[in-house]
Amino acid sequence: MGGTSKALSFTVQSECPTSRARAGIMKLPHYNVKTPVFMPVGTQGTMKGLLPDQLENLDCEIILGNTYHLGNRPGVDVLKKAGGLHKFMNWKRALLTDSGGFQMVSLLKLAEITEEGVKFRSPYDNSEIMLTPEKSIEIQNYIGADIIMQLDDVVQTTFQDYDRIKVATERTSRWLDRCLKAHKRPDDQNIFPIVQGLLNPELRRQSAQEHMTKDVNGFAIGGLSGGEAKDDFWPMVSLGTKILDKHKPRYLMGVGLAIDLVVCVALGVDMFDCVFPTRTARFGCALVNKGQLNLKQKQYQTDLNPIDKNCDCATCENYTRAYLHCIVSVETVACHLISVHNIAFQMRLMRTMRENIENGTFPKFVKDFFCEVYPDNNFPNWIVNSLHSVGINIINT
Amino acid sequence: MRFIVKQNGCGSERIGRLTGFFKFPGAVIETPTSALFTQGGSVVHLTSDVLSRVFSSPKLLWVPLSNSIQLENGVKVQNDGVAKFAGLPGHVACATLNNLSEVTPSGHFEPNKVPLWTKNGKKMLSANRYMDVMEVFKPDIILAIADGRTALNEGSKRVSKAVNRTSQMLNECVDRYKAAKELQNSTLVGVIVGAANPKKIDECVQNVLKHVDTLGGIALEGITDGTVESMDLNIKTLNEVFEKVGNAIPKNLFHIIEGCWNPTVILSAIEYGWDVFDGSYPVKLTNAGIALKLSFDVTKDNDTMYLLDMVDQRYKEDFTPILEDCECLACKKHTRAYIRHLLNTREMLASVLLSIHNLHHFDQMFFYIRKHIASNTFAIFKQHITKQCEMLKTFAPDRYKGLNEAIDKQTFQKNKKIRVSEVLSSGLVSNNCT
Ligand SMILES: [Zn+2]
Ligand SMILES: [Zn+2]
Repeated sequence: MGGTSKALSFTVQSECPTSRARAGIMKLPHYNVKTPVFMPVGTQGTMKGLLPDQLENLDCEIILGNTYHLGNRPGVDVLKKAGGLHKFMNWKRALLTDSGGFQMVSLLKLAEITEEGVKFRSPYDNSEIMLTPEKSIEIQNYIGADIIMQLDDVVQTTFQDYDRIKVATERTSRWLDRCLKAHKRPDDQNIFPIVQGLLNPELRRQSAQEHMTKDVNGFAIGGLSGGEAKDDFWPMVSLGTKILDKHKPRYLMGVGLAIDLVVCVALGVDMFDCVFPTRTARFGCALVNKGQLNLKQKQYQTDLNPIDKNCDCATCENYTRAYLHCIVSVETVACHLISVHNIAFQMRLMRTMRENIENGTFPKFVKDFFCEVYPDNNFPNWIVNSLHSVGINIINT
Repeated sequence: MRFIVKQNGCGSERIGRLTGFFKFPGAVIETPTSALFTQGGSVVHLTSDVLSRVFSSPKLLWVPLSNSIQLENGVKVQNDGVAKFAGLPGHVACATLNNLSEVTPSGHFEPNKVPLWTKNGKKMLSANRYMDVMEVFKPDIILAIADGRTALNEGSKRVSKAVNRTSQMLNECVDRYKAAKELQNSTLVGVIVGAANPKKIDECVQNVLKHVDTLGGIALEGITDGTVESMDLNIKTLNEVFEKVGNAIPKNLFHIIEGCWNPTVILSAIEYGWDVFDGSYPVKLTNAGIALKLSFDVTKDNDTMYLLDMVDQRYKEDFTPILEDCECLACKKHTRAYIRHLLNTREMLASVLLSIHNLHHFDQMFFYIRKHIASNTFAIFKQHITKQCEMLKTFAPDRYKGLNEAIDKQTFQKNKKIRVSEVLSSGLVSNNCT
């Protein structure tokens, strides 16, 4: 079991006898992370105004940083001198960084992808910059996260041109080789390959099988959650988890809505990240089992309940919906308070899933969860179908 | 609530205690002290959880109605006071009309009403309406409604009206206070305005003294209208006002000064017997990206700047804390380089960390003030602090200004917060201590 180098060891501790869900422990240089895990996104070396101490109290075990942003500010030189991002931001637990490629393609219209890498113009001084697989790994080696991502050839998920998708998928495999070759810290950092192929099952299968031949400690499933139909989304996740080595962690990139988390854990995913919980906090939206509360709405003006009675976060302990209603989008404190709750919500959901997997009650948990979200049992088809594919029937309860 | 003078210093400075709060009979707040300035009921930038990591004992919350009136409906329904509603039930609240360090339009008066400038615009407030809100907010300390936003160079007609209006409204507040059972757990504070005119301020003092049996303290307004120009005052002029009013008021009342005054002014006021300050100074520094860094050790000369412009590029690779040996969470766990990065990327954690340090450090200043009063060495401490404040003048402000410009210009074009250059030219620092 586990990877070949000591930078990561993954142990599956319990498996759901019905679905593909599993609970495990992923030992990383900075922390032993319990899976399935949600990783909040702290783009620029910080999480929406929260202290690293608060994140620890919220049970965050691994958080994500963005290589593209960090490479610009504070910049590689500063991070190098600081001794890496862990020390720079004083975060003692695990970190994961992306490759920077996704940001470039999504943020910068002028990006051009060639076999060499991603070419773009710097928004800072308009100079031409080339992000190669080697460069991405070099920066990530300086940042020093426990898990780093290969540079992949990113294509919009809903893109239709088969030839371009095929090129991107194959190029991603070639870039993986270059990333692995350029990697200078295999003893304390793990490169995860990214399974590509968009919505094409054949290309995805090829991509996954190709990655399986490499000496890596875990895998990511990329190129999803980009606006595709849910009916197209889940079969790609399922395909990935079916093929990928079950002794290694599987990370589904950019997914973090509660219903998606529950379905994808059932499909066998171990790690997730998403900006949504903290981004939505900024707009006054608090996550609850049934969806979200927009605290700006008048109905909360005199509501003396906490956001969620069953939540034990510092926000729900001390503050009412009525008070939050008064300060959302006015005071920075409101954003901090809702971020705390939303991260607590994500963490609690993951913890509950782990416990149910360990107790052998995961299928029942899934049914109960969706019955609460859809009280009149109007389940979307994709949820019924995806769960059915792994043996969980939520319709005839 | 009770105020007790515990010890007098060599001059008029004194150590006192605020005790016997309705909800915390055991709580003690030692004076001289600074309140924690709030916005929308919250200590600016800090959640109650984070605040509890900075201060473990009850603090005085400074609650201006201009930024908290929107809480009224909610506080009313909960019926347990503004501090509890704002998630800070472990602290005591002091409510006032305006944030005195904020610039608001001038004029807009009606007979027996003053304007309240909120983020949703102007509301005209009578003394009665003000006391209605106080019955809902249930603060431990209520500053009477007043027309206090006049600068020292204000025309005598305006000052005269301000004093008359303030006196009239104080009479109404006192009547309401005596009549309402709900208000008996709060302490009423009379406000003195009109410092621009010696005759009128005497009149104002006389009216406050009429109610001396009802009042627990007095507060001084009418020195600044909130503009930086109005705060750029000669310390002598200010001292005259502090001395005159300080002497005219019975010593058993606690003395409050409102406004965003720098340490030099605060120490001067304390020397004349003033006890409580509104806490807007560290907040303003935080919002400008500045860290406060006074040396409190009177045995050592401090030849470094007492304000650090944390946006400055010089801190880019400075992996030391804001202040070596500072016990605050920001200094114990984070570096100047990290805070500078957070400011540079406009991340909210910058304001959180700066607040933590600035509030802690400002609080420490008052701790040392009390310590030196207790050991009869206040004058030495005052000189030690004043000297550090004056030093900023000998450094050319350009030394600070120019260095900012190399940094990502766009970031700062969008930044509406005041910058260091503005702070340097304002009453925030020691321009006014000659
Ligand atoms: Zn909560
Ligand atoms: Zn500090």
